[in-house]
This record gives sequence, C-alpha cells and structure tokens, in this order.
Amino acid sequence: MKTREKILVLDDESDWLEVCREFLGRLPGQPDIRTVSSGMTALSLLDAEPFQLLLCDLKMPRMDGLQVLSIVRRRFPELRTVALTGFSDEDFRSRAYALGVDMFWLKSDMQQNPQRFVECLESLLGQEDDSGFRDVYSKNLLDVIQMELALRNSSVLHITSGRHVAQVWIKDGQLVDVRAEGADGDAAFWRLLKWKSGTFESLPAEPGHLQTITKSVDALVLESAQAVKKAESPTPAQEEEETAFVTRLTAVAYEGAEFVVTIPDKKGDTAKGWGIKDVDRLAAWARQAEKSAQRLGEKFNAGSLTHIAGHNLERHLLVMRQNDRTFVIGWPPGSDPHRLFEQSLNLVDTWAS
Amino acid sequence: MGLLNWFAKSAPVARKLPAGSFTVDRHGNVMTATVGAEYPQWLLDDTGREVLSLFRGARAAGMPLTGLDLNFTGLHITAREMQGGAIIFFSPQNAFAASSSAERDRA
Repeated sequence: MKTREKILVLDDESDWLEVCREFLGRLPGQPDIRTVSSGMTALSLLDAEPFQLLLCDLKMPRMDGLQVLSIVRRRFPELRTVALTGFSDEDFRSRAYALGVDMFWLKSDMQQNPQRFVECLESLLGQEDDSGFRDVYSKNLLDVIQMELALRNSSVLHITSGRHVAQVWIKDGQLVDVRAEGADGDAAFWRLLKWKSGTFESLPAEPGHLQTITKSVDALVLESAQAVKKAESPTPAQEEEETAFVTRLTAVAYEGAEFVVTIPDKKGDTAKGWGIKDVDRLAAWARQAEKSAQRLGEKFNAGSLTHIAGHNLERHLLVMRQNDRTFVIGWPPGSDPHRLFEQSLNLVDTWAS
Repeated sequence: MGLLNWFAKSAPVARKLPAGSFTVDRHGNVMTATVGAEYPQWLLDDTGREVLSLFRGARAAGMPLTGLDLNFTGLHITAREMQGGAIIFFSPQNAFAASSSAERDRA
C-alpha cells in the first residue's frame, strides 16, 4: 500500500500558506501537508522527517527561498521542489532553475489556474521512481528521445533551449548521433541532458547520417549520472560541515530562535549569521555592547557579565559569550523573557558541541 | 610612627552595590536620581552615556531597541528608552535574588 505523500510548504505569508494548503488538499491520496514560515524551520523539519515535495516561496525575509533551495539541493537531492513567487522576474526564474527546481510557478498563475497547478504537482509526485537519475534527468527531453526510440522511429529531433540548438539523429529506434554546444556523439548527449527546458521539433530522417553513438541511451544516461555524482559528491570535510550546519539549524528551530550571529574573538575572523542578512552591523554593535557593559561592571564592581538582553516590539535579543566567541541570538516577540537566557544557553551549547 | 602610616595601604572598603534609578535626557544629563549619595554624579553620568550610546548603536545597526538589560553576577542594570533619553534601574543581586538557575550555574 502506498504511504501518504508528505508535502512541505514554505512561505512567510500565512495567507499563502492557507491558499497552498487548500490547493494541495485537492491532490488525490490526501497528502500530509505541513506549512512553515521560515527557511530554518523548513530545513530542520526536512532533516527530521522525509518529505516528497517542497513548495518554496522565493521572496522571504532573513533566509530567502533561493538560499533554502540551494541547501535543499545539496542536502536532500531526492526531494522534488517547486519555486513559488509573486514576482514575474526572469532572473528569479533562471536562478531557481539553476538550483535544480522541478517547477517554477507565479502565484498569480496558481490562482488563475489552480486545477493546472494541482495537475502539475500530481505529475511531479508521480515521478518519484526515477529519482536515481535525477541529477541529469531532463525529464521532457529524455521522455521525447526515449519515446522515439521505443516507437522505433527514424527522425531528426531539432531542439532549442534559449540560444542553444541541438540535433538528435535517430534511425530505426537507435540513437545515431547528437550535436550540441559544439560537441558531437556521447559528449553532446551528456551536455544535452543538462538542458532544463526547450522546444522540440521532429524533422524527417536523414538515412545517410554518420553514426557516432554506439551505446544505448540507458548506458549513456547511467554514465552521465555517475560522472555528475562523482563531480558533486562532497568531501568528508564538506559532509561534516554540512551535518554540523543542519544540527545547528535544528537547534535554532527547536528552541524557536529567529536568528543567530556568531562573532569570533579573533580580529581577522568574520562574524557569521544564520537567519539574518545584515550580520556585520549587528556584530559591531554586539562588540560595542560587550565593551560598554564590561566598563560599567568594573566601575561598580558588579561581578562578571553573564549576558546582555535587549528588546523592542518585534523581537528579543540576547548577547552572550561561550568559549572564544560572542553569540547574538534573536527571539520572537512572544518569547518568555525569563526563559530566554536558559534557551540561549541550550542553543549556544549545541552550537559549541 | 606618623611617617610609617603614610606608607600603609588603606584598608579596602566594601562599597554597597547601587540600588535605585535615575533618568537621563537625550544629551546624557542626569535629570532625577534615587541612587544613594555614595555613588558620585560622574558615575551616573558615565552610565547614562554608555546606555544612550548602546541604544543609538543598536538603532544604527538596524535593530532599534526600547529596552536593555546588562546582567552581571552581582548587579542588573535595566534601561528603558524614553524619547531619546532613558530611565535606568540598578538592582543588586544577592544569594536570595530570584536569578535563574542557569545564571547561577554560569556565574
């Protein structure tokens, strides 16, 4: 029996989360739909539970959708992804596709044609079995080629993708030659597999065309997949760093923090931020705050500084030290101020470990 | 004997931690204070200036704050921003003060 599919929707606007929930509720099989409003929560949830599909808004404060998708691409390569945006921006679209998203939808198109949106998602979820070749699997293109082969056709496929043009020669259901991006034969076929979108035209066969490809399409796809996997497989150090990164994000999400900035004591080392964009100015302020507090503490013989807390209507802020660095942690406005120090300490301990 | 006394070290004086509050205007001038007289005016001036500078620095860093708490093991300094100035409270901490267990452990 097929298990219920799990879909995660990430959008900072609660109204849109509701809209998506309603649309996704129309999918057959009643998938389990989860919604989150921040990138960090989404990543920690993906790390904790298996999902089949992620719908990700691109324009969000703090960690934006492109950042989330880039982590998802490396961390969860099997996950299907759909980028959503309210802005018709070609740059956004191309950057999202470059990150390997399966679909790109404008929110206005979603609203105008919800049935089509749902059908596309249904189709996407149905493609789960081919995940092994996903790194090179240009679905439409390979589908077309394989269909031509299966039907034992003879034709020349003329393919256009942006400014690139390719030709695929097929004779009696056999792949004979490919020319793309200045290459021919196997190399051209591998380049073609990386094309994300394009248009196809089937032209009459050219029986006398010279055969340069002798392998089957499946063998070529497999070789290409292996080459890509080899090139992309992270080193042990990268894997360790990535694991530590997700562990930290999980700690942040578990405690409910909005952002974390770490400021090393060493002057040459730069401050790093998770969930916040303007790290340097906040780091400079935190350094100033620590120095000011220490000066005051000395003047009053007040003992050692445990932490500095700040707040406004939008958030709580906590500055504290652990080992050789200072942490600035942002908390949502509804947090219990009496528990923030302990929560920050838990978070910082996880970070340091 | 009197000569010897000149070189004698003065005995350390235990000074009580400050308690009470004071207000400063946007220029750092102390307007009102309930802090004990053993704490000189210049010390309150310095405190006011540091606190106002922290509020302004936070604003410049894109994180404007309306309240600040500097937590030491023996003293909490709490500041609330008031139209460019601030009201600042000193709350001495002792073994019986209601600080969190985490704070005590860390101290």
